[in-house]
Amino acid sequence: MRSYRFLDLETPVEMLTDWITPVNHFFVRNHMFAPARIDAQAWKLTIKGEVEKPLTLSLAELTRMENHSVTNTLECAGNGRSLQNPKVPGVQWGLGAVGNARFSGPSLKSLLEKAGIKDTAKHVQFVGLDSVPGKVPPFVRSIPIEKALDRDTLVATHMNGAPLSMYHGYPARTITPGWVGSASCKWLTEITVLDKPAEGNFMNPGYRFPDTPGKPGEPVKPENTHSLTALTVKSLIAAPSHGAELHGDTHAIRGVAWAGEADIVKVEISTDGGSSWRDAQLGRNHAKYAWRQWSYRWKPIRSGSYVILSRATDSQGRVQPELAVWNPSGYLYNAYDEVRVYVHT
Amino acid sequence: MYTLRLDFRARAIVSVGTVVLFAAIVVFSQSSREEPLPAGAGKDKAEDACLSCHEARIIVQQRLNKAAWTKEVDKMIKWGAEVDARDRDTLIDYFSANFSPDKPAFEAPRTVAARKEKAK
Repeated sequence: MRSYRFLDLETPVEMLTDWITPVNHFFVRNHMFAPARIDAQAWKLTIKGEVEKPLTLSLAELTRMENHSVTNTLECAGNGRSLQNPKVPGVQWGLGAVGNARFSGPSLKSLLEKAGIKDTAKHVQFVGLDSVPGKVPPFVRSIPIEKALDRDTLVATHMNGAPLSMYHGYPARTITPGWVGSASCKWLTEITVLDKPAEGNFMNPGYRFPDTPGKPGEPVKPENTHSLTALTVKSLIAAPSHGAELHGDTHAIRGVAWAGEADIVKVEISTDGGSSWRDAQLGRNHAKYAWRQWSYRWKPIRSGSYVILSRATDSQGRVQPELAVWNPSGYLYNAYDEVRVYVHT
Repeated sequence: MYTLRLDFRARAIVSVGTVVLFAAIVVFSQSSREEPLPAGAGKDKAEDACLSCHEARIIVQQRLNKAAWTKEVDKMIKWGAEVDARDRDTLIDYFSANFSPDKPAFEAPRTVAARKEKAK
């Protein structure tokens, strides 16, 4: 529980062992107030902007369109922020603002093509039904047209086979697979095709990352930043728990690893604080934007305390680093995961 | 008639009881859900200016220096927090004193981060 108002719920990492995260364990990140209620009969989705013929669809019309499913690991850009040093402002997430679910609904592409995309189209902006207090800038962001036209970018109505929950954007949300969570808009009601990126707080200065890493704690000039897109390479240890006392000869070290638009090719485990590393076994479940489960059978020789580390490598050659890149908003924290345990042999 | 009066009284007792119970639930859930702000000059102003839009927990989990708190307070004023010009510095001082980087990490109840911190 990071906040009730606005609702920000984190999943304990010990629960992140399944390939598909159950909806009622799936993290929730709200920037604003969730809509008080949604009238599914009255709900409309408008598609406008740089299109030949603007469209308005009812929920019934949307659900009649051809469905496509994508299993996607959704992670908040600020996941792990509390571990940044020096500390940065924002929701102080531990490591559990992440989950993997199967999202279904029409491809955004099919909706955009129905409306007819003009040559001037460069970005696609999403507006949700969340309500904004005071003079807070609305949570409005856009994604480049190339990503919007990827068949796997969805206007999802279902999550793990059931209609979306209110917490996760009922009745429809976008899913921009492999990208930071903020690129996917909940309680979707309006899609606007733009001839340039959307403006506003949540495009700039929000959700931007330094072009080159600077010194921790030093400010970064806005012109030396870029908008966040795909997630980075990362693994986490779901078992054993940090601080656990372990009894017996053999222990399963387990967890998940993901890399946004790339594939996980390797997860390594160290049980001596990083002096030596051994490959974990990757799980059988596999999908383009989904995390991989991994496990490692560990037979400690003697009793004592141990530091267990995990690090992932992806198909782009990126390796999870010992220290994450510090940045003023604490995005994309991806240092080795670490748990300390005491073993009784 | 007699039974009707009894019914009325019974209903009154039940409805008063319901109100008391409901009030107790509201008070209990407020106190158990929402983090209190620490005492000090600026507490009342912080409650008035901040808590109409978000709960205190989002404040008490931060660990920021004075420069960062100044940025946050000014951002929130720009975003509609009603802060009298005379109170801005009081608020910045209050937050900087209570939620500075040298304070121990905020323990969000029932989270792994809290347990990790404790286990160290």
